[in-house]
Amino acid sequence: MRASSKLRELLRPRQTLFVPGCYNALSAKILETVGFPAVYMTGYGTSLSLLGLPDAGLATMTEMHLNARYIANAVSVPVIADADNGYGNAIGVIRTVREYIQTGVAGIHLEDQAIPKRCGHVAGRMVIPMEEAVGKYRAADKVRRDLDPDFVLIARTDARGAHGGSLDEAIRRANAYLEAGADMAFVEGPTSVDEVRRICKEVHGPVFYNQTGISPRFSLEEMNELGIAVTILPGATFRATIQAVYDFASELKQRGPMAESDFNERFKGHPLGNVHRFAGFDQVREWEEEYLPAEEMEKYTDSVGHQPAKS
Amino acid sequence: MRASTRLRQMLKEPGIIVAPGAYDGFSARLIEAAGFRCVYMTGAGTAASHLGQPDLGLATQTEMANHAGHLASCVSLPVIADADTGYGNVLNVVRTVREYERAGVAGLHMEDQVAPKKCGHIAGKQIISTQEFCDKIHAASEYRTDPDFVIIARTDARAVTSLDDAIDRGNRAAEAGADVIFVEAPQTEDEIQRVAREVKAPLLANMVQGGRTPAVKIPELERIGFKIVIFPAVCMAAAVPAMERALVALKETGTDWHDGPVLSPMDIFRRVGFDWWHAIEEKFAPRS
Repeated sequence: MRASSKLRELLRPRQTLFVPGCYNALSAKILETVGFPAVYMTGYGTSLSLLGLPDAGLATMTEMHLNARYIANAVSVPVIADADNGYGNAIGVIRTVREYIQTGVAGIHLEDQAIPKRCGHVAGRMVIPMEEAVGKYRAADKVRRDLDPDFVLIARTDARGAHGGSLDEAIRRANAYLEAGADMAFVEGPTSVDEVRRICKEVHGPVFYNQTGISPRFSLEEMNELGIAVTILPGATFRATIQAVYDFASELKQRGPMAESDFNERFKGHPLGNVHRFAGFDQVREWEEEYLPAEEMEKYTDSVGHQPAKS
Repeated sequence: MRASTRLRQMLKEPGIIVAPGAYDGFSARLIEAAGFRCVYMTGAGTAASHLGQPDLGLATQTEMANHAGHLASCVSLPVIADADTGYGNVLNVVRTVREYERAGVAGLHMEDQVAPKKCGHIAGKQIISTQEFCDKIHAASEYRTDPDFVIIARTDARAVTSLDDAIDRGNRAAEAGADVIFVEAPQTEDEIQRVAREVKAPLLANMVQGGRTPAVKIPELERIGFKIVIFPAVCMAAAVPAMERALVALKETGTDWHDGPVLSPMDIFRRVGFDWWHAIEEKFAPRS
């Protein structure tokens, strides 16, 4: 089944779908292993992990959609990916949606920020006129209807927090974008519980909620009550990674190389402590047994190192 | 020697630099084989050949820089590459300059069109303010890591505002740090002469067959003071009708063997460096 069709099925029960963010194939695999039914590719995390650059419109469409492709190939759960502002006008959006559909992700969100965009929780944002944005969503809708009608199109508006913006304007835009063909509306950056309530009441379609940065936090039960269709936690995993890597690097710096063996002792008891298995070496051995000449498997008898499990 | 250093030398030496346009590695190789001393990477040709799409700002910075890198690595000539608008604001411009430097090209040109850009010879272009343009050129020249890397500022103002504005933008961009000025699409020979007279910087002329600028031959461009001339379309314009004819002939005759000289696979490989690679293979062949 196509990833997009899987995501549509996950959305059917009308309960809030909770989708944490990943920033690369490894973090996506971890989320899948823990049991999340879908993952979200963050643009902020992609820019930072792939390029070491801030989320300021510096990552190109090529870089973003390749990261999305690597993630979609690494997991079997559907992926929702950040597609920024579509990397151009409506014409650019046509190419962007085509490219993202080909990566195998289940859906994308496209926003109405001017080029170059920036993180939706950092000041200094600007939005394009609503009419122009509507043209972009209409173009995106046409492309996905032609290539993959199940592909989920999420329209994000940054009009709440952009230069000269307001919540009223954001709600007006969200409704216009739904009418233009988007499946879900993503009002970026509400700053209070009341604002989120208004969004859920006044947006006439499924609401996609970004629980991060300047926006309030809700439990799943609360979001169900509010009627939120999807909620993402885009930055949570890369923040956890930053902390873990920084702390471990500091320990290495302070205590020297032997800190690594102490870490390994602690890591042994971890659910993912067998990294070779997590990486998929058992699968490789299984494929080898299935498809390679039997005599080649003798290489396992006397070569030294981790022994992948036999199937 | 770095390609950028070579191009800088050529800019100091007398004589005009002629850079035919390559749209892929093959055409770059042919330009070198024909004895030219510089290759120009056409953005329109890159979009058309690499993506099969028109020049409407659809090619990404990544695709353009990668393509530039492929051209730079298959020829030993300096490559001047099209970098469109720099793919965004000053921040994107800085990243573009660094990516192009790393791709091994000798220089790039960047224009004052609003992103997404359009081909310089079609209608519907829009331009950013002179100040914003100069800021982008300033950022490009200040944040290059290779001091020899050549920054060429292109203005599309002639088709949007006026030739006067285009000339003013050219002079202001030169003050902002551009090494060479490229006034896109002057519409008469008089306009070309005015650009040559009034822009106080080394100049690039863009000769596109069938475009908005009248054809002026290389010696005449040199005489009136241009330092670089690019012919972006020369290879692609020759290749396209040849391919079209070959495909019609294939359909009509049922074969691609035809009377007259036939290009064998080895004829093709030779043109893209087979002998050079083969010599290495021979040199390191296992001795028995």
